[in-house]
Amino acid sequence: MGNCLNTPTADDISLLRGSDSQDGSETANLGPPPPYQESVPIYHPSPNVSRTVTQLTEEEQIKIAKRLGLIQHLPTGVHDGCCKKTKECVICMGEFILGDRLRYLPCMHSFHKDCIDDWLMRSFTCPSCMEPVDAALLTTYETNN
Amino acid sequence: MASMEKRLQKELQALQRDPPVGVKVDTDKLTSNLSEWTVNLTGAPGTLYEGENFVLHFKFGSRYPFDSPQVIFGGANIPVHPHVYSNGHICLSILTEDWSPALSVQSVCLSIVSMLSSCKEKKRPPDNAIYVKTCSKNPKKTRWWYHDDQV
Ligand SMILES: [Zn+2]
Ligand SMILES: [Zn+2]
Ligand SMILES: [Zn+2]
Repeated sequence: MGNCLNTPTADDISLLRGSDSQDGSETANLGPPPPYQESVPIYHPSPNVSRTVTQLTEEEQIKIAKRLGLIQHLPTGVHDGCCKKTKECVICMGEFILGDRLRYLPCMHSFHKDCIDDWLMRSFTCPSCMEPVDAALLTTYETNN
Repeated sequence: MASMEKRLQKELQALQRDPPVGVKVDTDKLTSNLSEWTVNLTGAPGTLYEGENFVLHFKFGSRYPFDSPQVIFGGANIPVHPHVYSNGHICLSILTEDWSPALSVQSVCLSIVSMLSSCKEKKRPPDNAIYVKTCSKNPKKTRWWYHDDQV
C-alpha cells in the first residue's frame, strides 16, 4: 500500500535516497527520477548503524558498492494479481496489489522491491526465513554457468 | 503517514482483532503516532510465572521495521529470569542482532512469553549487579553477550 507502490520506472535511485524515500510523498514521483537528490543519502553498513557517505570507512563504501551490485542481480517483477502467490509483504504488512513492483529472493520469498531493497542494504538475509542471500545467490550462479 | 506508523497501525488492528493468549496491548497508553506501546503479559499456566502479570514497554524509531524496537520490562513486577535484568532489560538476540523486519510486536511478545515459559529456575542473570550499574538506558546500545540458550 501507499509508500510501497512504486512506478515501474522509479528504479534503483530510491535505494540511494535512504531514509527519505520512506515517506508517503513517493507516489507522486512519475517518470524516471532525477539522478541525484539534494538530501544526503544515509547508508546502513549493518543493522542499526546509520551513516552518511562522509562518515563511511573505505571498507564500508566497498561493502555498499558490492551490496548494490548484488541486489541488482536479484530478479524483480510486477505483481500480476495471481492469488496463488504470496499475498502480503511482511515488511510493510501491506497486501500486494496488481502492478506493485516486487523483488524475489533465491529462497522464493517475495517482497515489495522498495521494502526489501532497504532491508538488504542493512542485512543480506531474507527477513522471512533468515537465509543469507549472497550464499544462495552464488550457488544459483554456479548451477547456471 | 510515515511507513512506521502505517505498519504499527496494521499490527495494532491485528492484535486487537486476534490477541494471542497472555498478550494484551494497553490501548490507553499508546502515543498518538504509535511510537510507544505498553503491552501487558500474563505468565502462561503450568509455568513458573503462572498468573503473574508483567508490563512490556516498546519504543519504535522512525526506521521501524528496519530497526528493531527497544523493548524492556517495566512496572513493579520485573520477571526474575536468567535473561531478564532487574532494570527490565532483556537479553534476547531478536531484539538486536537477529532482528528481522518480518518480526512484529506479536512475535516479540510471543518470544518473550516462550522465554519465560521455558524457564526452570527463577534467578537473575549472573552478571546482573554489574550490568544494572554500568549499562546504558537503551538496551539496544548494549553489546550483548548472549547467554547460553539452553537456560
Ligand atoms: Zn512492502
Ligand atoms: Zn526467504
Ligand atoms: Zn541471556
